[in-house]
Amino acid sequence: MTLSPELLLTVATERLRVARPDLADQSVRSAKDSVKDSVKDSLKEEARAEGVAAVAVVRDVRLPSWVRETCAFALSLTPERSDAWRRSLTRTLYLAGRPDNLRERFAFTHVAADGTAAWAGPDPDRTTTGLRRLLRTFRGHRLLTAWHPVTVELPCPQGDMEREPVHRDLYLATAHLTLADALVHLGHLLAESVIDGTLGPGDGLTLRSVPHLTTLATPYAALRVDTDHLRPDRLRAYAALTQET
Amino acid sequence: MTPRVLLAPVTVTPAKPLTPSHLKGLLWTDVMYRATAAIADVTYRYSPTTYHLTEQTLGFWEFLDRTQGDLPYDALSEEEIGDLYVLFRKDAPAPAGALRPYALEAERNGWVHPASARVLELWTRHYSQLGLHDPGLTTHQPPGLGFEEMVEQLVGLGMGLDHRSGGGPVYLDATRYGLPLRQITTPDGHPNYLACALRELLPLAAEHDEVVLLYDPELAPDYTLLQRVLAELGPRVHRVPVGRVPIDGEIRSARHGGWHDHTAGALLRTLEADPDVRRLGVRLYFVAALGAGQAQSFRADLLRKSLERAVRLLRRADGVRPGVDAVRQELGRHRRDHTHVDPYRLTCSLLARAGRTPDHDLLTTVYL
Repeated sequence: MTLSPELLLTVATERLRVARPDLADQSVRSAKDSVKDSVKDSLKEEARAEGVAAVAVVRDVRLPSWVRETCAFALSLTPERSDAWRRSLTRTLYLAGRPDNLRERFAFTHVAADGTAAWAGPDPDRTTTGLRRLLRTFRGHRLLTAWHPVTVELPCPQGDMEREPVHRDLYLATAHLTLADALVHLGHLLAESVIDGTLGPGDGLTLRSVPHLTTLATPYAALRVDTDHLRPDRLRAYAALTQET
Repeated sequence: MTPRVLLAPVTVTPAKPLTPSHLKGLLWTDVMYRATAAIADVTYRYSPTTYHLTEQTLGFWEFLDRTQGDLPYDALSEEEIGDLYVLFRKDAPAPAGALRPYALEAERNGWVHPASARVLELWTRHYSQLGLHDPGLTTHQPPGLGFEEMVEQLVGLGMGLDHRSGGGPVYLDATRYGLPLRQITTPDGHPNYLACALRELLPLAAEHDEVVLLYDPELAPDYTLLQRVLAELGPRVHRVPVGRVPIDGEIRSARHGGWHDHTAGALLRTLEADPDVRRLGVRLYFVAALGAGQAQSFRADLLRKSLERAVRLLRRADGVRPGVDAVRQELGRHRRDHTHVDPYRLTCSLLARAGRTPDHDLLTTVYL
């Protein structure tokens, strides 16, 4: 299927409608008039003022491990916390830090088994002030390059499975994409897919790179659409989760 | 066994004249070094080589070559070179790639730009006139660790975070002690002065029982971090802040200029005294009269008074030679709970002992 500009706009506005049905109607109409992100920004601002954010502490990024642990974090949340986070558009702050140096001072919601990352919250910003003051924004300016497809299996705590595991492909559009931006796009796509049940415990994901996402051989189950940073008057599909394969 | 003490003062970039603030730091360190050396095994580490690799030094060298061409650096004064440094600080920073040839030359071949070589040569003369121990201003003293080795050791200690593979910087991470993450490189891998200090001090700290860091109070957060890292390697680490000397109530960085009437060279020209009087007098002023704080502005009249006191002290001490053991005993009184001697307490004791006879052996050991 082709990911046309119209489709991208529909996906972007639908995401806002799902997250904030109380705010989105007017914004969606405006967004359809103008793709520019001012409307989205204003919505994000409203979400931020009353919302919550997760804090991801990043020590080391290996994408397969990062994908698995991001899902593990989202899977560990209670429905109430998931709902609140979704309403805040799964806002996440990415900070450079070593979880092993922070565990005595801060309560993390999830720590990667290999210690390469940890997640706190999602909580109101004031709850994570101490952590944010101690650390610095994650900076990863390296541009991504192609990799061989690699499959990861999402964690499956015993008795936690509501359905049989399935397999999907996860595409990331790597052209002009920095590592730091990749974390943001993957983070939103994966978290929101876990929250709405598209991804579940034990699912398999094959992580694939592609320069641009313009067509998909398998229909998508979820798309990450955001302003194209090279052409801010357009939208771009940064990542896609396919239907079961 | 004699305790091993490492004195590691912050160094001055050889790109400008020494100011009263620099002189104060150097004189404090010198008194501490010479007093402590009488009772302990002391390493005084002051290596310009280590810090040539900082952006401000390499950037200055690149700026000179790009904008000035061939200048007769051998004939320039430190004030003239300092004027060029002020111009450099007003200029837009050069791209990192332009500094790389300079970094490689300095790192691999111990190369020093003739402007900085000239400044260091002039400083050695000031040191001589002030009776300062020269810790190797013009000697090639590379740090014990290469940059990669330093990062590896830092990460191994649990206090390093290396994000270069993702296009990020290297951080010093003492967050387990509640200290904020501190970047020590630019994303393209260029080290800042803290990275240079770590290359030098990590291997040295492990070889000493006590480390004393003398620094400008404005650098306190970085020196608190250094203290934490070095203490991981075993020694007791002390921080000794030595405040700057305001000029007319204002603390200014040398990079902004405005120091012409107050350079070390200008001051020395006004101190046409006997060498012993000059050496003791400047220490009485910069160590005892000004103290560790930075509340008092520089006052030439008080400096002259300190020289007059030095004349009287030397006269009274003339011929009083109680010997090495007595000197050691006296120095030991000014150590508190550490091995190194407190320069302020020791120097004040010279002034406070109006009723007692000053000891010429002590003056010779520490001050002259």
